Amino acid sequence: MKSASTLSSAFLQPAGQALPAALLTLRFDRASALANLILPTRKTENWKYSAKHLKLTDDMASTLPMNASAETAADNSSYTVVLVNGIVRPESSNYPTLEGLSIQRFSDLSEDDAALAADLLSKSISDQPAKSGSVNLSQLNGARFEDGLLIQLQPGLILSKPLFVIHHTTANHSGSAYPCILVAAGNNSQFTLVEDYVSSGNCSVMVNTTTEFSLGDGANVTSVRLNTEGQTVQHMGTTGVRQQRSSRFESHSVGFGGTLRRHDLHVRLEGEGAECKLNGVVVTQGTQHYDNHTTIEHVAANCNSEETYRNIAADKSHAVFNGRIHIHQDAQKSNANMSNKNLLLTSGAEIDTKPELEIYADDVLCAHGATIGQLDKESIFYLVSRGLSPRDAKVLLTMAFINELVDQIPVEQVRNTAHTGLNRFFDQAFQEV
Amino acid sequence: MLSIKNLHACVENKQILNGLNLEIKAGEVHAIMGPNGSGKSTLSQVLAGNEAFDVTAGEVTFNGDNLLDLATEERAREGIFLAFQYPVEIPGVSNLQFLRTSVNAMRKHHGIEDMNAAEFMKLAKEVSKQVDLDPAFLKRGVNEGFSGGEKKRNEVMQALLLQPKLAILDETDSGLDIDALKVVADGVNALRASDRAILMITHYQRLLDHIVPDYVHVLSEGKIIRSGGPELALELEAKGYGWLGIEDQAAANHG
Repeated sequence: MKSASTLSSAFLQPAGQALPAALLTLRFDRASALANLILPTRKTENWKYSAKHLKLTDDMASTLPMNASAETAADNSSYTVVLVNGIVRPESSNYPTLEGLSIQRFSDLSEDDAALAADLLSKSISDQPAKSGSVNLSQLNGARFEDGLLIQLQPGLILSKPLFVIHHTTANHSGSAYPCILVAAGNNSQFTLVEDYVSSGNCSVMVNTTTEFSLGDGANVTSVRLNTEGQTVQHMGTTGVRQQRSSRFESHSVGFGGTLRRHDLHVRLEGEGAECKLNGVVVTQGTQHYDNHTTIEHVAANCNSEETYRNIAADKSHAVFNGRIHIHQDAQKSNANMSNKNLLLTSGAEIDTKPELEIYADDVLCAHGATIGQLDKESIFYLVSRGLSPRDAKVLLTMAFINELVDQIPVEQVRNTAHTGLNRFFDQAFQEV
Repeated sequence: MLSIKNLHACVENKQILNGLNLEIKAGEVHAIMGPNGSGKSTLSQVLAGNEAFDVTAGEVTFNGDNLLDLATEERAREGIFLAFQYPVEIPGVSNLQFLRTSVNAMRKHHGIEDMNAAEFMKLAKEVSKQVDLDPAFLKRGVNEGFSGGEKKRNEVMQALLLQPKLAILDETDSGLDIDALKVVADGVNALRASDRAILMITHYQRLLDHIVPDYVHVLSEGKIIRSGGPELALELEAKGYGWLGIEDQAAANHG
């Protein structure tokens, strides 16, 4: 019998960027814990559909260097921080000096702040031991980050403009990058973080990301995640969220690019009255593989969660949605709503969806629904009989499927990028012969 | 304008039209009547270009062009309009967006520049009032949650907006109460013009009290078996289809 493959030790060797002692210790511990990690196979529950697309050869292990000349699309009108291959590039960044707002790269952290960062990371959901039967590859980030951002909002701070974090991956050889963003939002603070993942170059690379949000009482945080990376990028990202009393978290994720993309979004509603809203739009084409795993834990009572994901798969692409809602025993009066609708544009495309409910409280309102369908021929005929080209008819019908989610993205620039990406997708998916 | 010769068509291998002939000239209003299952709706779907129907023989020309060679959208752009018997509900696509895309597709085909949003809004409001539809409908999804009557009025509104050369109305009267029937009939009458033809498909004579046709045809088993003036409809109303030796096929099937 073939023995199970384990993670190559090459993946456990960081490059050696200067970091505060607290973070170095944490990283060392994480790496030690990952030694002999058994790699996922199709029998691994949380990698059932995606394991075969995973490419973790030794050449992918080396840390991609900071590239000082990589061009970035940083826009001066908004607050921006640029990371190239997971390393902050201060000269491309532009954000305000505001009382109550602190944006620091890891290497600049004071001892106290480094301890806070290490604490956030050690409690990080992505670094929790994996459930039995599943493999948590996002733990790699904890063992490999070279740099990162600690964003702190003091209580009551309201940031009027979104903060853009541009994650640019660029390489002229194979390798990987491990960007890490930590957000500590104080009580009643408010802000919007846009993470824009882009890439340049045609080398096979892996981006392994961690984004961790900690929301104090009454904090209101919106996270926008946009993926437009090129076709040679393997993306494995984790977003962890902890919410205290009456806080609100909103997530909008829009994904286009990449060969394999995996995103794990894990929200814990830990304080009473907290609420979260998770929206996701995924379009895949060619042979892309896109896997969204979400978990919402209702830990405290009286919390609300609402989740809406839409997948559209063209050509021979494959989209996976696994949405888990876990209602703890004390989480009475929980209100959880999950909807996942899927659209197959070709017979060669595949979509797998699995809603999971785990409920231990007895007084809850929980609803979930998943559908998979195709564009309706009668609807196409109706539109075309009014003079619309078959392409326009299909675009209208497909947009109808996701319009609501795109319109809800609270940042205009991201909505525009989403529309541009969608138009490019439609041009390829609905080519007129 | 429209010339149908020996038209044979089938759907899912079931032969529905069996050698239908019909000539329609500009300015004329024709009514096609017939029992259920006689092929009325098949005729309208074939003319509009629904690919679910196969034409197995015969020819159709529209203003001299071979209609059957044209794709569905080309027929629409050349001026063929079908008011659907069962308009499709399309949640998420707003009526306004749909209608503007439609109007501009027609304009582009005729080399006219796009109508801007403001101009279009004004026009759309006007025509929606003409069929007694609250302009708020424009913001809703296409036919989404519309009552049967509202859907039919929306179809007539589209005809008024698109100003087709040939309007085919497939049982646009069915499911309407008297007041709605009057509104729809007024809308259709407003379409009557010397350069436009109207083909009405109906099961009942009552629509023809409001829209008086120039010709009435009786369809049975996929063929026109009798043609006449408006008086033919009255005769059918009085005597039933049995008078022509036709059994209502649906009734027969269910009986």
